[in-house]
Amino acid sequence: MWTLARKLLLHDRLRFAVAIAGVSVSVMLVLVQVGLYFGFMETASSIIDASTADIWVDKKGNESFENATTFDERAFYKVVSVPGVAHAEPVLMTWAQFKLADGGDLGVQVVGIDTTPRRHSLLAPWNVIAGDVRRLAGPGAIMFDTSDYPKLKVDRVGHVTEMAGVRTEVVALTSGIRSFTTSPVFFADLRTARSFLPQLTEPMTHVLVEVEPGVAVADVQARINALPYLTAYTTAQLSTRVRTYWSKRTGVGAGFFTTAVLGIIVGFVVVGQILYSGTLQYIREYGTLKAMGAKNSAVVQVILSQAMISAGLGFAVGAPLAMAMRASLKGANLTVALTPELYTVTAAITAVMCALAALLSIVKVLRLDPASVFKN
Amino acid sequence: MIDALAVNETCPSPAARPTTLARLVGVGKTYGSGENAVAALSNATLDIHAGEVTLIEGPSGSGKTTLISILGLLLTPTAGEVWLEGKNVAGLGERTLPGLRARNFGFVFQGFNLFPALSALENVAIAIRMKKMRTNHPEREARRLLEQVGLESRLHYLPADLSGGQKQRVAIARALGGNPPILIGDEPTAALDTKTALSVMELLRALASTEGRAVVVVTHDPRLERFADRVVRVEDGHIQAITGPSPEAVRIPS
Repeated sequence: MWTLARKLLLHDRLRFAVAIAGVSVSVMLVLVQVGLYFGFMETASSIIDASTADIWVDKKGNESFENATTFDERAFYKVVSVPGVAHAEPVLMTWAQFKLADGGDLGVQVVGIDTTPRRHSLLAPWNVIAGDVRRLAGPGAIMFDTSDYPKLKVDRVGHVTEMAGVRTEVVALTSGIRSFTTSPVFFADLRTARSFLPQLTEPMTHVLVEVEPGVAVADVQARINALPYLTAYTTAQLSTRVRTYWSKRTGVGAGFFTTAVLGIIVGFVVVGQILYSGTLQYIREYGTLKAMGAKNSAVVQVILSQAMISAGLGFAVGAPLAMAMRASLKGANLTVALTPELYTVTAAITAVMCALAALLSIVKVLRLDPASVFKN
Repeated sequence: MIDALAVNETCPSPAARPTTLARLVGVGKTYGSGENAVAALSNATLDIHAGEVTLIEGPSGSGKTTLISILGLLLTPTAGEVWLEGKNVAGLGERTLPGLRARNFGFVFQGFNLFPALSALENVAIAIRMKKMRTNHPEREARRLLEQVGLESRLHYLPADLSGGQKQRVAIARALGGNPPILIGDEPTAALDTKTALSVMELLRALASTEGRAVVVVTHDPRLERFADRVVRVEDGHIQAITGPSPEAVRIPS
């Protein structure tokens, strides 16, 4: 059946090429659009996902991760004193103005972390490619990401500049840390971060919690939630919450998925039309086979095989196209998260799309009256 | 009542009584109902014998195609009985019929109906594969059949590269796939020149004489009568006459 299906498809090479092009574009659109969405979502929660904390504590009613409501040190100590908490670290998410070399200012996102030397931190910069992250504990020390070079016009460790009137020095650089807000992400010590906003009276926006070994995270989470004005999330919960927040607030999910669905519809229509016209072209031959006793299932197999060949080749062409798109979009600071799971799901969607596109052809041959072969 | 209709029996000797492979008894086909009813075929009775070539002649619209469609189990009659493999199969459903057709019939058409993308060998092999899904060596069988119809040097030719006569021989080889005892041809020589048409009929005649197959051919061409054992004349939906072989009948020793 595969041989017949392949030869029937290849007999009209131009039509076959159109079918493969249709499926390829569909595959590429699905992969790139969904990959972009996942990339944005990864970016949105990357700081949370990079932490080793079991629990993140926010002020109750806080919606935004980046523009989180601050709270005072008493809340921090209340969290620390909850049974089952092994260790806690404050985090301050804030904003500051970075003084550019040309005298202008650029708003940047600042992640103030606890840099006290210890066995391990619950949140620390990752993907450090230059400098010494330990120097972050020093006054005015900052670090940022290489992807923000074009905006900041700074590309080296040791650069001294000013942020909100505070003298700062670049002590390290990271690679691949971006924010969903598209503003550059800076890491600094808590005290440095606070110094950018001297009027700030409450020094933190989140508390990271490490739970004692053997203690259920859910139990500690429930105890923290019982405290006034605080809400505790597991790291996974907060990650999902932040992704959902950005997805809903910006409509980015609907946008990307609409384009992906349009891609699927384009592929469906192209493959369906190609398969159907091919079936009509060979309808007398199919009728002859049915007249001579070929079962419907055998003829349907041929059409389904054509659909699967189209799906397979379309995927084989579309996936590398998506990879090429990912490489080209990287230059524009856009992450296309092409995961093995996404490839697998897209391959399955492509197969289903092509199988559904073959339905019209299948119905045609199922309804084909073998006696029709006698009608010239 | 018919209690013993054989299939795949060897060709009877000229002296022996012919083996009946299929029988139509009082078969009719009416389209529509009430005042709109149109009778395409009425009260047709016909035996199909092993080793015989039966020509079905008649003007256009006389019921010839309806007759062979019912014989080939492609059309369900509205009246009468169709006997095959020892039973009346007239009322059987589409679930059973493909198997019966695959075992008993091969079809040859005026337009050949070959897949243009497949070689001669592949066209025959795919039909064998589809008829008998578990055949181990359809290509080997297809090669043998194509050699039998004289196309051993054209096995890998596409239909576009074959002459009309060669295409029809491929179609005949395809019809022989699965070794059906009855071959039904719907004007198989109509698209061919005289010389080629006669050579195709000679081939069909030989398949009847040497292999004991029943060959049923619908035709408008009276020159083919010399290849026939019987000529069935159909007019206005009725079998008007069944006559014996013409005086110039071509005979191939079995």
